[in-house]
Amino acid sequence: MHLNIKHFLAVTISFSLLSSAMAGVMETEEQARHRFQLELEFVQCLANPNYLNFLAQRGYLREKPFVNYLKYLLYWKEPEYAKFLKYPHCLHMLELLQYEHFRKELVNAQCAKFIDEQQILHWQHYSRKRTRLQQALAEQQQQQQQTQAPSHGNTTSK
Amino acid sequence: MRFISHACALRKRGQTVMAAAEKPTKGKLLAALDDIEVLSRELIEMLALSRTQKLPQPGEDTEQILELLVQRDKEFQELMQTAVEQGKVHQEMQALEKEVEKRDSDIQQLQKQLKEAEHILATAVYQAKEKLKYIEKARKGSISSEELIKYAHRISASNAVCAPLNWVPGDPRRPYPTDLEMRSGILGNMSNMSTNGVNGHLPGDALAAGRLPDILTPQYPWQSADVSMGILPPHHGSDFGLEPPGHNKENEDDVEAMSTDSSSSSSDSD
Repeated sequence: MHLNIKHFLAVTISFSLLSSAMAGVMETEEQARHRFQLELEFVQCLANPNYLNFLAQRGYLREKPFVNYLKYLLYWKEPEYAKFLKYPHCLHMLELLQYEHFRKELVNAQCAKFIDEQQILHWQHYSRKRTRLQQALAEQQQQQQQTQAPSHGNTTSK
Repeated sequence: MRFISHACALRKRGQTVMAAAEKPTKGKLLAALDDIEVLSRELIEMLALSRTQKLPQPGEDTEQILELLVQRDKEFQELMQTAVEQGKVHQEMQALEKEVEKRDSDIQQLQKQLKEAEHILATAVYQAKEKLKYIEKARKGSISSEELIKYAHRISASNAVCAPLNWVPGDPRRPYPTDLEMRSGILGNMSNMSTNGVNGHLPGDALAAGRLPDILTPQYPWQSADVSMGILPPHHGSDFGLEPPGHNKENEDDVEAMSTDSSSSSSDSD
């Protein structure tokens, strides 16, 4: 997947909003709300390794303002903000993105693919575990029934 | 004979000179014994000689020797007394030393116990402090169980953290916002927004038109000027169930085709 250049435009607009807010210019409540939504969306998009690869290949991850923005986005880890996140994987990606080595590595498509695969496998972890547990439970019940059946036979014969 | 008595006198003088150097009593005793031995031998020799020679020797030597002998004997007795007293003192000293040893070992034991006690107390205090720290931490981070359950439901029902049970490779659902979802959000529509001019219009419009997925942009009833504080949107239950991306397609005029740098598109599709 890829997004078009307008996406970057969106990010720069949010940057400018942010910088104006930081510069002490009062942003209106409307603007603040809007910025909140923007950042919420953007931070969750970071959960997508393909998007990260996209950003890396276009060199955004090398720019200092962007790196600072990523650091600023760490506020989503606080519980009062994190409760709005639907895709929590993004927080882990955000943490990893703080490291320059990771940002450099993301330029490779191999790297992004690997992360994607591992992420999906991890995503399936709970369902796999659940199916295993259910199987184990079913087997156990079967065994119980089997052990009960002969004893029933004995008691009735007596 | 005179020579011998002379030698004894010299030795005595030497002894007095050495008294400052504290000659041990044992040595003194032995020396005195030696002298007595020598003197008595001399006396006996003299007596024997006078008997054989039948010549009355001048009594001076005999007297002298006798005197010396008596003197030595007296000295010997005195030395014995001293030795006895010294022995007593030595015994006392030993007893006291034993006492001292005992006290020393008592002190050492007390020291050990004190150290142990200190160690135990220090551990206890440390653990108590740690506990208090964690209590404080837990209190700070306390969240109502209802909120936790709400959030857990939110991230699980949409299959954001746990794959749907019927997921097979080829299913387009993912643990992250997909291509389509991203384009349908605010960020994907920023260009529209700039043409419309005013912020905040488009999300309302899109929501009203039912086109925006409320997955990414839930509507928050804003409470304060603070940017982020808002409660969860009212319609979060079933709407967060994952809908296939086909439902919320935007009009795709402004979506351009992308370059094919990454190979992910192949992994997404069948």
